Amino acid sequence: MLPGSVVEHYLALSGAIFTLGAMGFLMRRNVLIQLMSIELMLNAVNLLLVSYNRVHAGNMTGQVFAFFVIAVAAAEAAVGLAIVLSYFRIRGTVQSDEADSLRH
Amino acid sequence: MIDLFIALSPLLTVGFGGLLLMLAEALGKPANNTGMSPDGAVVVDAGAGRSEELGLLATVILFSGAASSMGVWLADPATLGVELVSPWLQVDRYSLFFSFILCISGGLCTLLGGGYLEEHKIDRGEFFTLVVFSTVGAIALGFAGDLLTVFVALETMSLGVYCMIGLRRSSPRAGEAALKYFLLGSFAAAIMMFGAALLYAATGHTDLAGIGAFVGGLGGEASGETAMVIVGMLLMLIGMAFKISAVPFHMWAPDAYEGAPTPTTSFMAAAVKTAAFAVLLRILLIAFGDPRLMSWGAGWPPVMACLSVLSMTIANVIAGRQSSVKRMLAYSSISHAGYLLMGVCAAMRLPEEASASVMFYLAGYCISTIGAFGALILCGSRGKEAVSYADLAGIGRRHPAAAAAFALFVISLAGMPPTAGFFGKLYVFRATIDAELYSLAIIGLLNSIVGAYYYMKVLVFMYMREPIPGAPIAIPMRSSMVVSALIIAAALVVAIGVLPGALLEMAAVAAAALS
Amino acid sequence: MTPGSALFIVSAVLCLAGAVTTVVSRSPVRAAMGLLGTILGIALLFLKLRAEFLSAIQLIVYAGAVVVLFVFVIMLLGTDAGSEPESEARSKIAPPLAGGMFLAFATALFGLLGGAIKTPTAFTVPSPDHGTIEAVGTEMFQNTLVPFELTTALLIVAVVGAIAVGRGRQGQKPNQRVIKNPQDFYVGPVMERDNVSQPEPKESV
Repeated sequence: MLPGSVVEHYLALSGAIFTLGAMGFLMRRNVLIQLMSIELMLNAVNLLLVSYNRVHAGNMTGQVFAFFVIAVAAAEAAVGLAIVLSYFRIRGTVQSDEADSLRH
Repeated sequence: MIDLFIALSPLLTVGFGGLLLMLAEALGKPANNTGMSPDGAVVVDAGAGRSEELGLLATVILFSGAASSMGVWLADPATLGVELVSPWLQVDRYSLFFSFILCISGGLCTLLGGGYLEEHKIDRGEFFTLVVFSTVGAIALGFAGDLLTVFVALETMSLGVYCMIGLRRSSPRAGEAALKYFLLGSFAAAIMMFGAALLYAATGHTDLAGIGAFVGGLGGEASGETAMVIVGMLLMLIGMAFKISAVPFHMWAPDAYEGAPTPTTSFMAAAVKTAAFAVLLRILLIAFGDPRLMSWGAGWPPVMACLSVLSMTIANVIAGRQSSVKRMLAYSSISHAGYLLMGVCAAMRLPEEASASVMFYLAGYCISTIGAFGALILCGSRGKEAVSYADLAGIGRRHPAAAAAFALFVISLAGMPPTAGFFGKLYVFRATIDAELYSLAIIGLLNSIVGAYYYMKVLVFMYMREPIPGAPIAIPMRSSMVVSALIIAAALVVAIGVLPGALLEMAAVAAAALS
Repeated sequence: MTPGSALFIVSAVLCLAGAVTTVVSRSPVRAAMGLLGTILGIALLFLKLRAEFLSAIQLIVYAGAVVVLFVFVIMLLGTDAGSEPESEARSKIAPPLAGGMFLAFATALFGLLGGAIKTPTAFTVPSPDHGTIEAVGTEMFQNTLVPFELTTALLIVAVVGAIAVGRGRQGQKPNQRVIKNPQDFYVGPVMERDNVSQPEPKESV
């Protein structure tokens, strides 16, 4: 069984990228890096969709889904960076754990 | 073809209305195109000083969306050639019921916004565009019958809400709220998408019915597909629990609710939650409606039951300890998610009765919660906002009308007769008991008694306390738009409370369309 | 070892190395480069998976737009805005705890998957036009037209929202206002929790 010849290898790789992304999101406190971690997770989703499209090869559903995920990710990045920018203008930091004036 | 456009008219009315609104905002003559913001900066904003007219236009658009949902409901969507857009959008009475509630909620929020934004100098025309397009996303989420549409619609709704929170750019609270809500919301969306990708990997389908059929055809033995379906389902449920802000995924909710401008908060508490429940019920019952996945052994009911118990109990305990009324209402909306999840659990045995009760509850909850936030807006003017219980002291004597409205909505949220909230709770508890989930029903009942405490605290402060001498006094604002929103909401809450039968019947018809 | 397997190994290593770089690096610029590595690796894998069109889109949209947007924002904020030492984190326990819990959760889930998958699924031989622009375009504009149209609403929201939130005020220099105390900006009665002294925010630029 050569590497990359069965779809489970892609599943494993995608799961690893997803887990890394999620851990980055949870453990880092720099908003920009948290955003990049979310992009990593979405990339893992794309890889999974496209690789399984080769198993369910009768139609192109997986690839088209991945296309939409890319569109959503780009829109999300634009809005997210706008929010980060506006937050930075007010607070002068991009550390999300400084965001605690709402907490009791 | 023309039939199809009629069938999709709720979505199209609101969508094209949103474009019209943008045009009106861009081309209309600004009433006040330059002004000074509190820090002395010159403000030149499209739509500045016109939030009343834009708000009114947005309200008209959203209410006509509600009217066209009602029209399509009456015309029987099944005869309108809707299979052309199936499975992407499922135009049936289930989705129309939700699009009606969502349009009404959105319309009430824009009415509140029309008064609030001007009063609080956030004069931003974009707010209404964002509300209208978020509502488009929410309606589409109710319609969605395929994971692809679910995601596009969910993101449309969420991105609009993130921006609505961050609109007040000078406020650190709003910036923080937007940031937190955005980060956790997109994290949840990513988790949900991975779950969906796993479901596609296992089944080869993205439409809910196809997934459901595949799951039904799986053999009993543990195969790779079964494991992938279960993991995918779990990840989807986690993502959705974030969206309905169920404990333990509620961390973002109180901060985001408190930091957001109040009309946005009411939109988040009402429309976002309703749309999320609409899609949650549809996914659970259509894609995971297989008896094996609906069992206590290996399915979603135990997960939902845990979320439900945690949401009710923890949110109620924390809500009782808040000193800010807005934050209390935020926790109360989490506890309402708990009661609703109880109904979702009951749907494992009685899909129709339980979904109907959840839908009824959502209708009552939406209107009551928007009303409560609206009354909170009315109770405070700029610089004299009512935020804590102490600010409400003596409002009942000084401003009886505002206090009476607040009292009505709080009573409805607490679930006391003769209001919509009472019958919502009644039906959800009845469905839970009919589904033989007795312990869940008892926990829910205890919780609604505990919950009544902090709702009553509002009444006590309004009617039985006098403000401490020298403390800042909240002075109610004057806005015909906020007042009219409250009158509409109050009329609906009382109407549903007096005549619950008609709405319940509609909910039952709608729920029957789901299965 | 066939060329295909070699390609898989190279791209997988590139992806994982990029992901690790993104997650651990102090400097956001370096993290963005890590993200770029992962994106390139995934684009390579797309080629191997016969998704030529998507591979191009991945490069254009992710590498060409999203990463550039990130770098742009990092530059706008000043390169050192994000690379403050993380040791200041208020709670030292919570982040590793959350990360550890997620790792345990993910290990359990993927372990369940790995245990359940007994026979690996080999790829089927796809039709010759699998993944071409033509095939993807046909699928998108014939079958997937409805969600495609729905993305218009998504993009409108994103554009309007990003402008509404991100636009600076006119007559105000960026980063001019660094609020020392949220209380200054809070209208309405001051509550007890507003009096908690705020940490001095970093002076920027």
